[in-house]
Amino acid sequence: MSVAEAESRELQLEAPSGLWREAWARLRRNPGAITGFALVLLFVIVAVFAPWIAPHGPLDKGLGVGGHLLSERPSAAHPFGLDQLGRDQLSRVIYGARYSLLIGVVSVAVGLSVGLFLGAIAGYLSGIVDTLVMRAMDIMLAIPGLLLAIGIVAVLGPGIGQIMIAVGVTQIPIFARLLRGSILAQKENDFVLAARAVGVPRRTILASHILPNAISPVIVQGTLALATAIIDVAGLGFLGLGPQNPSTPEWGTMLTETTRFLQTAPYLALIPGAAIVVSVLGFNLIGDGLREALDPKLRGRI
Amino acid sequence: MLRFVVRRLLLLLPILIGLSILVFGWIRALPGDPAIALLGERATPARLALIRKQLGIDKPVYVQYFRYVKRIGGGDFGQSVRTRRPVVTEFREKFPATIELALAAMVVSIGLGVPLGFIAAKRYGGPVDHASLVASLLGISIPVFFLAIILKYVFAVKLGWLPTVGRNSPLISAEHPTKFYVLDGIVTGNLEAFVDALKHLVLPAIALGSIPLAVIARITRAAVLDVQNEDYVRTARAKGVSPYRVDTRHVLRNALLPITTIIGLQTGLLLSGAVLTETVFAWPGMGTWLVDAIRNRDYPVLQGGILFVAIVFVLVNLVVDISYGLINPRIRVS
Repeated sequence: MSVAEAESRELQLEAPSGLWREAWARLRRNPGAITGFALVLLFVIVAVFAPWIAPHGPLDKGLGVGGHLLSERPSAAHPFGLDQLGRDQLSRVIYGARYSLLIGVVSVAVGLSVGLFLGAIAGYLSGIVDTLVMRAMDIMLAIPGLLLAIGIVAVLGPGIGQIMIAVGVTQIPIFARLLRGSILAQKENDFVLAARAVGVPRRTILASHILPNAISPVIVQGTLALATAIIDVAGLGFLGLGPQNPSTPEWGTMLTETTRFLQTAPYLALIPGAAIVVSVLGFNLIGDGLREALDPKLRGRI
Repeated sequence: MLRFVVRRLLLLLPILIGLSILVFGWIRALPGDPAIALLGERATPARLALIRKQLGIDKPVYVQYFRYVKRIGGGDFGQSVRTRRPVVTEFREKFPATIELALAAMVVSIGLGVPLGFIAAKRYGGPVDHASLVASLLGISIPVFFLAIILKYVFAVKLGWLPTVGRNSPLISAEHPTKFYVLDGIVTGNLEAFVDALKHLVLPAIALGSIPLAVIARITRAAVLDVQNEDYVRTARAKGVSPYRVDTRHVLRNALLPITTIIGLQTGLLLSGAVLTETVFAWPGMGTWLVDAIRNRDYPVLQGGILFVAIVFVLVNLVVDISYGLINPRIRVS
């Protein structure tokens, strides 16, 4: 074995894990990313352990002492106040984390899987398939995201499952475009040509040579998409298209309720809004950190 | 340049055709039978068949599609189920309100975002830079409607400096020749109406402008950092060109390219955000119009409205592309 061959073998052994290990090392040194991880961890813990953390049930009514609704200011017992039905606002927000997490993850999963499938076949097959898929994506992108989601909810009817699908669908073209672009860039690489030359089937080339290398921008986008999904879902909830049972503690829906009492009980808006900001901020920070970690050229720039 | 514009216009055609197919397919997927919607649940089968024939929904799908395109092409978008007025008429009333709001938000976001990003890049790594990074990160993480609620509470409800809802006070008499209320105030020389319209515009514009502001500041900072280290900037400095001239002529002008792209991309978000902002401030624009349409199952309004917004969005992107060609001569040729 010549020196060059030995070197190339070593390179090949190290290359797949090298990128990720290096990225992880860079990520750990990024205070923004660490803050992001902490916020997301907090969000997930609150969502999973809601019944143990929340002081009251999300549907427990009439917790106030006086008979008047909204009469009680925030106190030690109810730090963020009681809503119009005398329910503990903090507990409702804690339970709401479950909905937001679930809706965010499911809708991104929908957008990601369909988008990746379309992007992969467009990028790899090229030709007429590519043209058809990408033109269809262009047309979807021609309708602003929230309006597309509203249109889909109009067809499916309002509800939690429906807004998950609606938000997921709006994310399809973003992932499809991204993966296609990334695949096209990878396709030109020598190792793809080499694999083809030795007769590796097209499907295997795509799955084991191109996709693993093309996936890093998708991971970054996936994290940022979670942030967008949480905001969009809350937005649809705010417009009254979310869960149709108004007692469901969904953050966006809760904010709609609070706008009615902005004069008398403005504190009610605070905690659901802050919950959205914190979870979205967490995913944005991780996404930014990942982008910097995976693309050293961008360090400190964006 | 003319060839570039013509080519770009031709590219518009497949998008518009695709859009019409998408919207048509969506209309057919909407729940409810239009014939039953018109006649009620108890209509006889014979009458239903008659009305289906009149509406043309007994024909094959492709015939219906062409009829739809012909109808839309002729400017007939049907009438609102609730108000019984033509959708186009309602659109003409609501559209200027949203455009006025979106333009004001753009003024806020570009007017603050570009200088902010520029200063951050100039003070790269310093406290100003860090502060602006944190602020812009917060800016993109706050939902538009939550920010709108906060602004409304602090400045309208609590401090009472600015009005809480609407585009103008009903007490002030004003004429509206252009339907852009701020502009109307100037055109008619009605100072009171002008100030009133402006006051109503401030909070919604800040709320709606916040996300594009954050994004534009980030992109400007990144673009200026990129351009700053180019050879031609160093050459200009070495030649003894004044720092101000280097900044405006060499740095900013070249940094403008990515900024324009981002501004174009933000338009979609702006239109989405307008729906939410308008809801908070009861702004009588496209957003509240469409949201009401959903609540009332006013499908003709929803169909027309979404198509209108999509067309506006496509046209804005066209304008952005063309201005892109103006700024960057290389794009015109490729």
